[in-house]
Amino acid sequence: MIDIQETHKKFRKELSAGTVSLALLSILAQAEEPLYGYQIGKLLGAGDSDVDAVTVKQGAIYPVLRSLESQGLLSSEREMTDSGPPRKYYQATKTGKETLEGWTQIWNDTKIFVDNVLGGDYQ
Amino acid sequence: MKTTNELIQSYLGDLKTALKGADKATVQDALADAEEHLRTALETERAETEELEESEALSAIIQEYGEPAEIAEAYKAWESSLPPALAATPAARRASSTANGKTYPGFFAVYADPRAWGGLVFMLISIVTGTLYFSWAVTGLSTSLGVMILIIGIPVTILVLLSFRGIAFLEGRLVEALLGERMPRRASFTDSSQPWKERLKILLTGKSTWLAIIYMILMLPLGVIYFSVLITFLSLALGLIATPVAALVMINMGIPFQVLQSGDIVWNLSGPGGFLLSLVFAGLGVLIATCTMHLARWVGKTHGKFAKALLVSD
Repeated sequence: MIDIQETHKKFRKELSAGTVSLALLSILAQAEEPLYGYQIGKLLGAGDSDVDAVTVKQGAIYPVLRSLESQGLLSSEREMTDSGPPRKYYQATKTGKETLEGWTQIWNDTKIFVDNVLGGDYQ
Repeated sequence: MKTTNELIQSYLGDLKTALKGADKATVQDALADAEEHLRTALETERAETEELEESEALSAIIQEYGEPAEIAEAYKAWESSLPPALAATPAARRASSTANGKTYPGFFAVYADPRAWGGLVFMLISIVTGTLYFSWAVTGLSTSLGVMILIIGIPVTILVLLSFRGIAFLEGRLVEALLGERMPRRASFTDSSQPWKERLKILLTGKSTWLAIIYMILMLPLGVIYFSVLITFLSLALGLIATPVAALVMINMGIPFQVLQSGDIVWNLSGPGGFLLSLVFAGLGVLIATCTMHLARWVGKTHGKFAKALLVSD
């Protein structure tokens, strides 16, 4: 027997692989100052139970941030805090902002394509 | 009821267990991210809410952060998408071994391997870094011991021990960049809300501090060995490779160019057939240079493992 919950979970994970990167890059490209992980999570509404169906867990944001950084789309800086661990502040690089434009275009095309198919307008 | 500190530690412990099998450096990165997040979130809650029920608030924060298994999976996915710096992918390795000469494809392919060049640079600079690490380790330790009996002893010792951890982190970045061994991407930290004495205790009893000191001390002899061996072989190889040029110049100028042993001519490079002989010397030079590159790659790989064992704590 097929577990419906399990297939939902798998589908959500597959979808979020790209969309979370897009959302994070977009947030950081729009931000006026560098942000740290916890702030980004809050802005993304991650972990918020009301929109749990769409978003990711806050902890899953960090590896994506690292991945975007290793691609040169984000840069980061560590800052010490008075108490507690140092925070890693992220901001979008110039390449990151340019990449975002391309990604937004791809997203819009994908959205139209999927909507058309779902709405039966594909013929 | 557990304290917030115990809750955080227990979550980190679970996360570490869930990350079993992942690279040590990934584990360290994941734990650092989680700790930064949980502590920052808790502090924000504290600032926003008066008379906060801390354990409850933290449980909610952990809930939002995600199950250890889920988070571990995200890090493993990130790790597999990210080859360490300079690490040759299987495809790149194949390309480099087929792109070169037919006879010894693997043997000469070493010149196309960034790891061999990385190892070479690492061996060259290790005499500088090794000397600096050793001097700082010895100076820092003896200063700390000297002022231990004074009231300023504790802060000085903490600063010195923290500097050792900082150096260990920087050396890790260097090792990853040059040798391709995956090392932590962020430094470990100590909880600065703890009193000085507690922090000193953590630093003194922590395995990573002592392993870093051992590494810093060992880097002096290692650096001297790496540098001397590399320079010896490189100059020998380059000298031999330059033989034909020297032979041509000497022959044209009519100056004798001979290898002597106790006054007897062993090789006469300016005599009949001397130029051909010099070409044999050059070939030998190329052979030694290539062997040196292989040696540099091997030393780089071995040193990477060694650095990881000493500088990355479990």
